[in-house]
Amino acid sequence: MSMTGAPAAYDVVILGGGVNGAGTARDCAMRGLRVLLLERSDFASGASGANSGMIHGGIRYMLSDRHVTELACRDSGYIQRIAPHLLFRIPFLMPFASAHQEASLVERATWYAMEVYVGTYDLYQPLKRGKPSTRLTAEELYDLEPGLRPGLAGAVTFDEWGIDSHRLCVSNALAAARHGAELRTWTEAVELVREGEKVVGVRFRDRLTGERGEARAPVVFNATGAWSPALARKSGAVVPMRPGKGVHLTLDRRWSNYGVACIAVDGRQMFLMPHENESIIGTTDDDFYGDPDDLEATADEVEYLLEGVESFVPGVRQARITRSWCGLRTTLFTYGMNEDALSREHLIIDHGARGASDHRARGAAGGPGGPDKRGDPSKVAEGLDGLLSIVGGKLASYRAQAEEATDRILAKLGRSAVACRTHLEPLPGGDALPDAAALAEQYGVAAPVAARVIYRHGSLAHEVLRLCQDDPRLGLVICRDEGILAAEVVHCVRHEKVRRLQDLRRRCRLALGSCGGLDCARIAAQLAGRELGWSGEQVRAELSDLLSQGWRERRPILDGHQLANEELLRGVHRGLGGL
Amino acid sequence: MAGPVLETDVLVIGGGMAGAMAALSARASNARVALVRRSPGATAVSSGVLSVGDDPRALPGDFFASRCSPGDAARWVAAADPDHPYARVGEGLGEIEQAIAFAAHELSALIAPPEDRNRWIMTPYGSAIPCALCQRSMAAGDLVEVEGLVAVVGFRGHLGFDARLVAQGIDRLEGLGAPRAEAVELALFMGQGESIAQPFALAQALEAPGAAEAAGELLGKVLPAGAAVALFPPVLGLGPQDGGPWKSVPERIAAAAGIAVAETASDVPSVPGLRLQRAIDARLAASGVELLQGEVAPGPGGPGAPLEVAGRSVVAASWILATGRYLPGGIRRRGVLQETIFDLPVEVGGWPRRTSTPMSTGSLARRPAASLTDRDERALQPLFRAGVRVDAQLRPLDVDGRPVHPRLHACGAVLGGHEPAADGTGMGVAILTGRLAGRAAAGKL
Amino acid sequence: MSYLAYRALLAHPWKRLWRRGPGRARFLAAYAPEGLVPTRVEDRRIAEAASACVACGLCESCCPLAVAAPAVRALGLPAVFRLYSRTAELAGLARGALDACGSCTRCDAICPTGVPIAAIVAHLSAGRAVERGAGG
Repeated sequence: MSMTGAPAAYDVVILGGGVNGAGTARDCAMRGLRVLLLERSDFASGASGANSGMIHGGIRYMLSDRHVTELACRDSGYIQRIAPHLLFRIPFLMPFASAHQEASLVERATWYAMEVYVGTYDLYQPLKRGKPSTRLTAEELYDLEPGLRPGLAGAVTFDEWGIDSHRLCVSNALAAARHGAELRTWTEAVELVREGEKVVGVRFRDRLTGERGEARAPVVFNATGAWSPALARKSGAVVPMRPGKGVHLTLDRRWSNYGVACIAVDGRQMFLMPHENESIIGTTDDDFYGDPDDLEATADEVEYLLEGVESFVPGVRQARITRSWCGLRTTLFTYGMNEDALSREHLIIDHGARGASDHRARGAAGGPGGPDKRGDPSKVAEGLDGLLSIVGGKLASYRAQAEEATDRILAKLGRSAVACRTHLEPLPGGDALPDAAALAEQYGVAAPVAARVIYRHGSLAHEVLRLCQDDPRLGLVICRDEGILAAEVVHCVRHEKVRRLQDLRRRCRLALGSCGGLDCARIAAQLAGRELGWSGEQVRAELSDLLSQGWRERRPILDGHQLANEELLRGVHRGLGGL
Repeated sequence: MAGPVLETDVLVIGGGMAGAMAALSARASNARVALVRRSPGATAVSSGVLSVGDDPRALPGDFFASRCSPGDAARWVAAADPDHPYARVGEGLGEIEQAIAFAAHELSALIAPPEDRNRWIMTPYGSAIPCALCQRSMAAGDLVEVEGLVAVVGFRGHLGFDARLVAQGIDRLEGLGAPRAEAVELALFMGQGESIAQPFALAQALEAPGAAEAAGELLGKVLPAGAAVALFPPVLGLGPQDGGPWKSVPERIAAAAGIAVAETASDVPSVPGLRLQRAIDARLAASGVELLQGEVAPGPGGPGAPLEVAGRSVVAASWILATGRYLPGGIRRRGVLQETIFDLPVEVGGWPRRTSTPMSTGSLARRPAASLTDRDERALQPLFRAGVRVDAQLRPLDVDGRPVHPRLHACGAVLGGHEPAADGTGMGVAILTGRLAGRAAAGKL
Repeated sequence: MSYLAYRALLAHPWKRLWRRGPGRARFLAAYAPEGLVPTRVEDRRIAEAASACVACGLCESCCPLAVAAPAVRALGLPAVFRLYSRTAELAGLARGALDACGSCTRCDAICPTGVPIAAIVAHLSAGRAVERGAGG
């Protein structure tokens, strides 16, 4: 990093530590490029950390483009292969609801069509080790899920894979580091460095220390998600995006082992589904014009979600909601369409291109609405040769998107093609799946806790638990919701690029359980402070910051026992700690 | 006790600090008192100190600049905030000093005698909080009184307490007149690959014969020069089960180590909080209050009418509601804010008074919870100040502003207008309103 | 679209002809071995009761096992109805802690929000007994 005319320090600077940025960093590093990744907050702070947590196979594209579905399922299978510990199966029930006492012919035909549709999806399920769909009668449905409202006529079932998207993102970033990439979190790109019409680098600023620097690279890959339009605009480029806000609610425990597809008041598809050891309600999709750093669920959105689920699961209001969280979809811009109808395809834009060449993503041969209605965004920018941006996409296809991005980056650099291996080489911890009971026995920890560590770290659970052997005090379980060991906090701080206490929310789910940090926040802050050399002031400041994050998530859903919990939390942190 | 019907003068519902003060005050006025409680509440998980209020002119944590007495601090609060219970009781606020003295006297086995200023007690966060009353086990750690060095002591196996963090917190205040501090570690309670790490387990371990003495001896060997007090995590024993005489863990450690010993205030799980609740229980039992264990079902008749609870039928001329707020469930929100026993109107304190049309007391209780909160968690949060509205005699008011019943009173956290857990006045409100309610209820004979 | 018409009229009915067993049986055969079993009404009732916990820690103060039984001591009593009860799979892994409870119910009496801890532990323990009996 130099301010003079020294030779380029990197081949590519990647902006954004979401799943696209981290995935591309990994692929580039694996193919021998020198990579610098800059993330203004922490990995998965944006959409990559606020999505529904599923790597689904694109069932909705089967009608328009089966090829897309096949690729998505195949990629889903790849993710299983490289990170089996992060995945868990979610069987879905799609109930049939009739508007009348007796189902009409049209309704029956619709249900048969649904059965056929999902049955066709079965053809792709083997690509991702999914099970075949089934058709359930009403009696069978209520036997499997007694919590559904009466009057349903049956259901069709299929399954998808759920994933902790924060861990997926971090794992990709750490894999990139293992292959030589340099990672800087809490560091924002201030402006692009240009020489004439070429982009030659990036000036950045560390938000925690204030340190400024410059990185030179012939290619800059803008994967900053909802922040990319603003970033691009600073340099006169255009990233055509229609940010779509999505809100989810978390229940304090698994309500069911099966997901239930529900219909909201406005006819939209919604779900109540198990996610790891909780359940999630989701989601909304609304155009968002505000500040991506300032997202909060509104009372309307919360009520919309609860009402939608309640129409199929009447008992949901008895459940305890512990969090509400929001993210922005980086949807490709099209004017004149409803949010739900927008394409979920991705697009890699070359801001140096002039003219009509279409850089649309492979396989995205016209989504709903057709190519004409989209316009050609890649025609707009000029004079920024070397800058590539990615818009849109799905979590499930991140690896394929990163592969394509890396191919483009290599081409831009004029290098010869190198085979992509991201679907073959396991992510850190993904090479083997330890057994929880055996690990519990070996390291002397409780089996459920071992299970949680394995879920988050895979084969690296051995390293985490070895810390307990070296220092038995670290065998303390600091969170009784998530099963977080003191050793896990120390491991994450030492090895997973933790700079702030709130990063641990994304690494090991600190303070995300129903206790809201009552059990674990102060101890984790103490442990992190010891590892990172924080002063007492800093420990308290980081705790305060962690609590602010939590407040933003809990404020929209305070009710019942959650409210009592919050009262206690405020008493301890504000009344006692003065935070 | 013969027969199922219990006739008494005053019935208190709720056995935390507020209910206990109400019951004991009524006893002190020679009334017959019965107290029914279901389970511990906020008192049992409190920090262990009793805060009444602090000098608003001083910066937070600037204890040497804080000049006024706890009583004056309460008067400041009342002057600034007319919704606060300190203001609601009107002239009753003049009894705050007597209320503090009364509480200290009733719980004298546990509570150190009051001073005419706030004590400043450290917390595990490395912060210092002001309090009108603290437990005897904490008094030696009052930062205003310490002369010399504070040795902050951690148990090596107890990750939950970071002695260095607390010592740094004291050091930060050195410029304001705080003593110097140093952290030391005791390698105690560490077994084969396993240490005692949870607060209640530590407290129990320290109570065992010889344990506190061993801790004191070990401490004596590692004390830095000039140490005037050893400040421990808040785990120094749970106290006697029966309220009888006993040598406390801090005393035993101090004797063995040859230095004054204190503990910090506590977050959750709270050993001092449970100690306080047990002291309250013991005092109630010893003072002739009829204690009933059970739950009062919603919709009971009211003062004068029989109340079926704990297998008895209780008839009392005056009732005092001391059921607490969200934690013990005296106030609950299930879609709408409610007081759980009588369905009394719930006010949402701190609502802006800019509107000229007065809001009917019930309407705010139905608003979405988020609309009763502020985005900035440090700002005033009306939702957390919700509770029952009372007149100057602590009688709950109906939607028209009239007492619901002439002999029904309320005290403590069930009252609206303050946030007991977080605004530094919770215990003060409990002590003052408990005492006033008790005397009012007894006076109505 | 025509492909789906083909599936609807020919391929799917053919597939249905060859399918063995009712939907529910096939569903459970696919998912139950992975621990994805239905949630009974009983389980849900218990789960809702367990949701009342606010992490105050009082239950541990009076549990005789909190100090005595290693399995409970390691995690603490609150883990029983928090960590263990969140999913059926985790409850299955809770060896020792669940079975050690003697139902003294001191924890019930002290809980401020009224979590029926002893009943929850008994329920989870019985569930495990059923699993064990079935060879699980």
